[in-house]
Amino acid sequence: MNILTRKVAIVAGGVTYFSKARKDKTQEELVAEAMRMALYENDINMTKDDIEGSVIGYFSDHFENQLKFGAIIQDYLGLNPKSNVRIEGGGATGGLAIREGYAQVASGLLDVVAVIGFEKMSEVNTAKGNEFIALASDTDWDFPIGGYYSGYYALMARRHMEEFGTTEEQMAMVAVKNRNNAQYNRFAQTNPKMNPFGMRDGGFIKVEDVLKSPYVAYPLKRLDICLMSDGASVAILASEEKAKKITDTPVWIAGTGAGSDAMRAGDRPRDNKSLPLLPHEKPEWYKNLEYPGVHSFRAGREAARQAYKMAGIDNPLKQLDVIELHDAYTSSEIQTYEDLGLAKYGEGGKLIQEGQTLVDGEVAVNPSGGLIGNMHAVGATGIMQAVEVFWQLQGVAGKFHGSDKTQVRGAETGLIHSHAGTGTYVTVSVLRR
Amino acid sequence: MTEVFGIDPLIIKNEYYIEYRHSYGKTSPFFENLSKGKIMATKCEHCNKTFMPPRADCPYCLRETKWVEISGKGKIHTFSTMYFAGEKFLKDVPFYLAYVELEGVDTLLLTRIKTKEPEKLKIGMKIKLKIARDLEWRASDIWAEPDE
Repeated sequence: MNILTRKVAIVAGGVTYFSKARKDKTQEELVAEAMRMALYENDINMTKDDIEGSVIGYFSDHFENQLKFGAIIQDYLGLNPKSNVRIEGGGATGGLAIREGYAQVASGLLDVVAVIGFEKMSEVNTAKGNEFIALASDTDWDFPIGGYYSGYYALMARRHMEEFGTTEEQMAMVAVKNRNNAQYNRFAQTNPKMNPFGMRDGGFIKVEDVLKSPYVAYPLKRLDICLMSDGASVAILASEEKAKKITDTPVWIAGTGAGSDAMRAGDRPRDNKSLPLLPHEKPEWYKNLEYPGVHSFRAGREAARQAYKMAGIDNPLKQLDVIELHDAYTSSEIQTYEDLGLAKYGEGGKLIQEGQTLVDGEVAVNPSGGLIGNMHAVGATGIMQAVEVFWQLQGVAGKFHGSDKTQVRGAETGLIHSHAGTGTYVTVSVLRR
Repeated sequence: MTEVFGIDPLIIKNEYYIEYRHSYGKTSPFFENLSKGKIMATKCEHCNKTFMPPRADCPYCLRETKWVEISGKGKIHTFSTMYFAGEKFLKDVPFYLAYVELEGVDTLLLTRIKTKEPEKLKIGMKIKLKIARDLEWRASDIWAEPDE
């Protein structure tokens, strides 16, 4: 690590309005909407012609019913004959695409790269969509018995409750935080007041609403579970030399990490040998913990360890000001607090209960609304996170959101966390003003 | 005639059907043994690890594993009731999924639990794997039932 000597910055970002169904535009038209924002609504001194290549992420050929969609996007954006590659890694597609863009610039291969993500999940019905996503679990052993993602996460959440005493109320608090943050973000799918494509039954919620919503798979209820969305997002990355010419306020990618784990969560170890410790942790904290088991995400922990080492983070709760993390489920946000070392393993539930991850808490987590309040258009998600934290660190999130309410004041250091499967690929990157 | 769902924007129905000729490769003996009433796992004798679902190659040392018969007895590690599912399994809801710890096995197995008394299910409950009478050569040919 650290052999890559060129610094890399995010210099511009754009997103679409997110929606359950953006029937008004095709995939490439949605990407154009996000790219136009990146080019014309950020305070930058560059044109589309400065882009030297693209990294394009989308999750599922099944959803799109189009192979090699990256070529259509590249053509539609007028980027031919420049370099273009597709990145795919389930839910972590966006985070992996950001890392690929980072690597292309850090290595000196290119100076300015557009990292692009999209998904159009409304091309199929919701149950078929769940089935497609379930095909990203083991199709010999886990899918044929009726396995699907809300089921897998329910099993993991119940074990987390058994192991650590996490409660459904704590999970509900995560849903309330993220959903209500989204009410100040005009792009968010659950924001019917500001988003012209927002869901009609969106809006603010309370803990009781979550607890009363119907079970999908115990302990997870309708409002504990992320959205399925149509939309796109674009982040433009540049080398230090170019970044300083393009903008007065570049946001640096100070560290990045990636981890992996077994496709079948049941195959993960349950011993104490594979726990990647963070700098502030002591081995004796976890001497009786079976790890990662099905209650924790070793890939997320490993990704955080790498990113923190590179960025010099040794006290994440204090040093990080804003985080956009992959809250596919309220339970997995709590699990991720622990993987990121914001709380000890087992104490993630307490962190939300104490309000430490609210916008005005110790570290704002998912001020955009996250996957629960804002969007989960799979390939676009990790890039949306990068754009959101980029705007937060530039201090312009309020301007883009149409409300200052979720702008984290004075934020200097942020983190993005992109997560696939039952924790099969996870990326973490630290961003700095 | 193409089915049309909307005109502004124009939304039409597209269909795409796929048939696969899927091979279970080196784990095929698992299914052959089910027809003899045996539940087989694989064991890496070098790493002393037993895998269920079976793996033909040990992920720790990449040596080939050996087939071993397991009792199918174990206990619930975690379980949940499915009130919703992917399209293919919507007809089955509600149903019960669990990760089970099996005697002599190092991994957890994801399986369905079939029971007439779902209210009695709990973590730690003893279970035993059952084999379908009519095999369909899928993971759904085995499931767990309470054993206490």
